[in-house]
Amino acid sequence: MKKILIICIISVLSVSAFSQSTLFSFQYSMGFGAGNMKDYIKPASFRGFTIDYRKLVTENIGLGFDMGWNTFYDEMPDATYDYKNITYAGKQWRYSNEFPILGAIDYYMTSMGDIFPYAGLGIGTMYSLQNTDMGTYTFEKDAWHFALRPEIGIIMDMGGGSGFNLCTKYYHGFAAGDLPAQGYFTINVGFVFVN
Amino acid sequence: MKKRISIIVFIISAFLLPGCYPGGPDYIEEMDVVLTKHNDTYDFVSKGTYAMPAKIVKITGNAVEGDEPVFVPDITGQKILARIDENMRMYGWTKVDVSANPDLLLAPASWETTTVFYYYDYWYWWYGGYYPYWGYYPPVNYSSYTTGTLLMTLIDPDILESNGNPVRQWTGAINGILTGSYNASRVNAAIDKAFIISPYLKTN
Repeated sequence: MKKILIICIISVLSVSAFSQSTLFSFQYSMGFGAGNMKDYIKPASFRGFTIDYRKLVTENIGLGFDMGWNTFYDEMPDATYDYKNITYAGKQWRYSNEFPILGAIDYYMTSMGDIFPYAGLGIGTMYSLQNTDMGTYTFEKDAWHFALRPEIGIIMDMGGGSGFNLCTKYYHGFAAGDLPAQGYFTINVGFVFVN
Repeated sequence: MKKRISIIVFIISAFLLPGCYPGGPDYIEEMDVVLTKHNDTYDFVSKGTYAMPAKIVKITGNAVEGDEPVFVPDITGQKILARIDENMRMYGWTKVDVSANPDLLLAPASWETTTVFYYYDYWYWWYGGYYPYWGYYPPVNYSSYTTGTLLMTLIDPDILESNGNPVRQWTGAINGILTGSYNASRVNAAIDKAFIISPYLKTN
């Protein structure tokens, strides 16, 4: 699995070397947990960012990578943490940090005025770090997931080689390491700079 | 220009985002933790009597070298023992004297741990070289906190390890940061919690 991942990322990066235009996007990212992640932390995350980079290999296709960080947080006033036949009880502070690093391909549709809709897919890895803090203790779990990330969004041309970017992404990391599958949606807003 | 804007956006965000990182406890009570561990093959339900000493021993000094045992003062120790007994009774246990051949022995104990942490004044690394008359070594500060633990252990006097020591069938530990005074509601809530999360101790 790791070899496939490395080959995919290298292929994406090497093909992009032949491109002409490049897009660099920096986005503020809001996260909404799904599945196991929502079971662990229910509130949405308003702490996150994403950096996207694409090179256009044709007029409509961009290849590149994106990476980001979303941190989820919740407080449980009275909760238990079980490990084998040991139970810890008390107030919990739960943290989940997600760091996706993905090779990406986007398809840019024909513009509607100044708006360019697009859809994309990412493939790569996602590092998850979960901490459950109780008293002076912390229980830590982490995993490097194999991850997929579909995305849809729009770029609004603001002229002068810059644009406004609005998109939604879904990150899915398959079960790995200490953790089961982890998934979350994001809504991102930011700016795109085109060279 | 565009490149410069994107770098500025990145730098500003890099400083702002960690500042938004969620915090932790606001009150000392929130740091209290209750831990229980039990032998899941032991049949608690078929038992019914237990014995408990009249004092809580403090784990301190060196018993092997003949240091005398130290006990928690009665003014607080008796309240703690009464709360433990109340919880045991609610689960159907009857307290008897140790001479009455009880099914289990409950051994209460307590200890304190002080954690000291040191840190350097970080500004020394940036400016120390410019001001040679500051000391040769960076100033070191320290801080500390003390945690207290109350331990409750249930042992079956008839079940021994190969070395002759009794086997712990249930352990309840209450850990929290110590303050200058005894807080009954805080301690009682923690003792109650240890039993609430151990429903397998119920005999009734």
